[in-house]
Amino acid sequence: MTETLIRPPVDTPPPPRPPTKRRRRAVAEEPGKRWLIHLPLVVYLLFTLIPFYWMLVFAVRPTGSTQLVPWPITFEHFDTVWNDIGFGIFFYNSVVMGLGVLVFVTVLSVMGGYALARFKFRGQKVFLLAMLCTQFIPGAMMLIPLFVIFKSAGLLNSITGLIIAEVAFQLPLSLILMSGFIRNISVELEEAAMVDGCSRLRAFFAVTLPQLKPALVAVGSFAFIGAWNQFLFALMFASRQDKFTLPVGLSYALGEFNTDFGALAAGGVVAAVPVVLVFAVVQRFLVQGLSAGAVKG
Amino acid sequence: MRKLLVAVAAAALALTACGSGDTSSGGTATITFWDNNGGPARQPIYEELIKRFEAANPDIKVEYVGIPSASVQQKYDTAIVGGETPDVGGVTTSYLAHLVGQDALAPLDDRISGGPLKDKLLPSLVETVRQTAPDNKLYIVPSSANMDLIWYRTDWFKDAGLEPPKTWDEFITAATKLTDTAANKYGYTIRGGAGSVFQLITEAYAYSGVDSFFKDGKSTLNDKANAELVDKVADLYKKATPEADVNNSFTQMIAQFTGGSVAMMHHNLGSYGDVTKALGDKVAAIPLPVGPSGKRTVVPNPTDGFAVFKNSENPDAAWKFAEFLTSAESNSYWNEKVGQIPANTDVRSEAWIESNAHVKMALGVLEDPATVLVPAPVYLPQYSSITKTDSEPQYQKVLLGELTGQQFLDEMAKKLTEAQKEWEDRK
Repeated sequence: MTETLIRPPVDTPPPPRPPTKRRRRAVAEEPGKRWLIHLPLVVYLLFTLIPFYWMLVFAVRPTGSTQLVPWPITFEHFDTVWNDIGFGIFFYNSVVMGLGVLVFVTVLSVMGGYALARFKFRGQKVFLLAMLCTQFIPGAMMLIPLFVIFKSAGLLNSITGLIIAEVAFQLPLSLILMSGFIRNISVELEEAAMVDGCSRLRAFFAVTLPQLKPALVAVGSFAFIGAWNQFLFALMFASRQDKFTLPVGLSYALGEFNTDFGALAAGGVVAAVPVVLVFAVVQRFLVQGLSAGAVKG
Repeated sequence: MRKLLVAVAAAALALTACGSGDTSSGGTATITFWDNNGGPARQPIYEELIKRFEAANPDIKVEYVGIPSASVQQKYDTAIVGGETPDVGGVTTSYLAHLVGQDALAPLDDRISGGPLKDKLLPSLVETVRQTAPDNKLYIVPSSANMDLIWYRTDWFKDAGLEPPKTWDEFITAATKLTDTAANKYGYTIRGGAGSVFQLITEAYAYSGVDSFFKDGKSTLNDKANAELVDKVADLYKKATPEADVNNSFTQMIAQFTGGSVAMMHHNLGSYGDVTKALGDKVAAIPLPVGPSGKRTVVPNPTDGFAVFKNSENPDAAWKFAEFLTSAESNSYWNEKVGQIPANTDVRSEAWIESNAHVKMALGVLEDPATVLVPAPVYLPQYSSITKTDSEPQYQKVLLGELTGQQFLDEMAKKLTEAQKEWEDRK
């Protein structure tokens, strides 16, 4: 019955199109100046892409070859990585851990961020400060205390334990980020919905959450990537081969006296592909999310 | 909407729930074994040995865990503090003193002398292990030794009509002759980055023939002849080596050598797999050259071995496995695959040693009664910080001509003498 009362979400007029188009055209009209934009971009792009090219080349050319353009290509290193090092299991563990961290960090940071943005409560400033302070503590320092606690809680050798540790470490920053995003969505919109009969929760879901999409993507993808790259905890909290994650598997290619560059590069490709895919899909939101965030003049 | 939230949380929980499941097997003992150099090269070797062990001992199950070598010390430290050590672990003498200091390992003297391994282990390795512990007990059973040597390109030497060098002077001549900077060919590659000083020390003692690391409590490292060698090597920098060498760790060094731009490289038996995989029969090994004295002095590499941890719930089963790994048959299998020097003396008659030129060469050096071993004081708690953290940047200055070999060694020797004194006082 409340359904009928809900008005279409209060219309925020589409922001006036920034005059970028015209400006871009202005530059394009002066061909002499075009290189001023393109040249630095090309240089920067090369600078970023060459390591990736290096990785690809090492991954597909046979050991001992020094060709710059690998041909014929070989997949033996991928075979080593997947079958001999056991990347199959590590990959699965990493995916489970990454998704787990993503879900918990995002959900919890929305909940906490909402409270921080919308309510005034005693100790709020202290709480925020404490959250920021946790970021000063490097993971390596917490390693042994955490290890002892996890041991008594029976959380060693389990992906659940890793997720808990990683969520705890990532949450403070995500929380602060998220509260900034939420603060930027005018409270009036929610109030309007509540005047129309929504509960606070419903107003949040119907009005605020849809606008948070870029923020959710930004926070979620950072959480996922952070978890994906976590090495220290993944190695220290697991003492069983079938509980290791990708970064640990990657470091297997670096032996005490020998380094298998082919396997290292092939493993790097395997580990990078999901992250690249995630970015490819979400980058549109991500740019929006970052610019819509807390840091605004 | 509330339902949705609950559903999301429940889904997340379900996703993560697939983590626990420790099963304790009834009747058989399960022991954990940590491989201190885990990776695709070693794991299959251990898997085969574990299979053999379990077939011979059906009441013991071994769980293999490969630890990446770069993090193994931290992993052991965390495990010791948390009381989660394995039953058996691969440990080398480079961090053995550190583990003994934390009272984590069980001494193995009685077990070794009371079993089939008695008098079967290479005495020089047993001695190295003993010297590492403050109480001179055996906290690992030595299984394998490594040795520094020079890998060289047989084809380059042949083309240039050169013989592999026996003395440092011949070495320097060869390095200079084989260099053609215009063609990006260099006679030698210097390890100037991580791990440089350890290699430099072995070179210095090989040249000087000084036969002990301390004389009357004073470090012999700054001996004049040692300094002479440091200067000679530094002289080769940029003249007969790539300029990038000043930052070389062993990975870059090996990449240069296997990439085909370098004629000689000082490393150890451990790179056997990499160099032969890339260069096939175009590569061979010689011992470090000797100096004017003609004496052969060798600073031994860290010795590999197996430790039984004090915390083990099945120390007998754990020892059984460590003993099995060091038995002639397993020791032979392991060292043949890895290409290192077997600790079990019964292995020396095996056929593979005859056909494995570099292992035979290294064994020959260790067996030669004229060879003098000069063990580095790895038992000093500060040894690694003095020779790595403090000295590696200083060595780079030597290469860049900002410091002389003598100044560099004086500084290091002073610190080592102090550390040795402290250690003697505490003993």
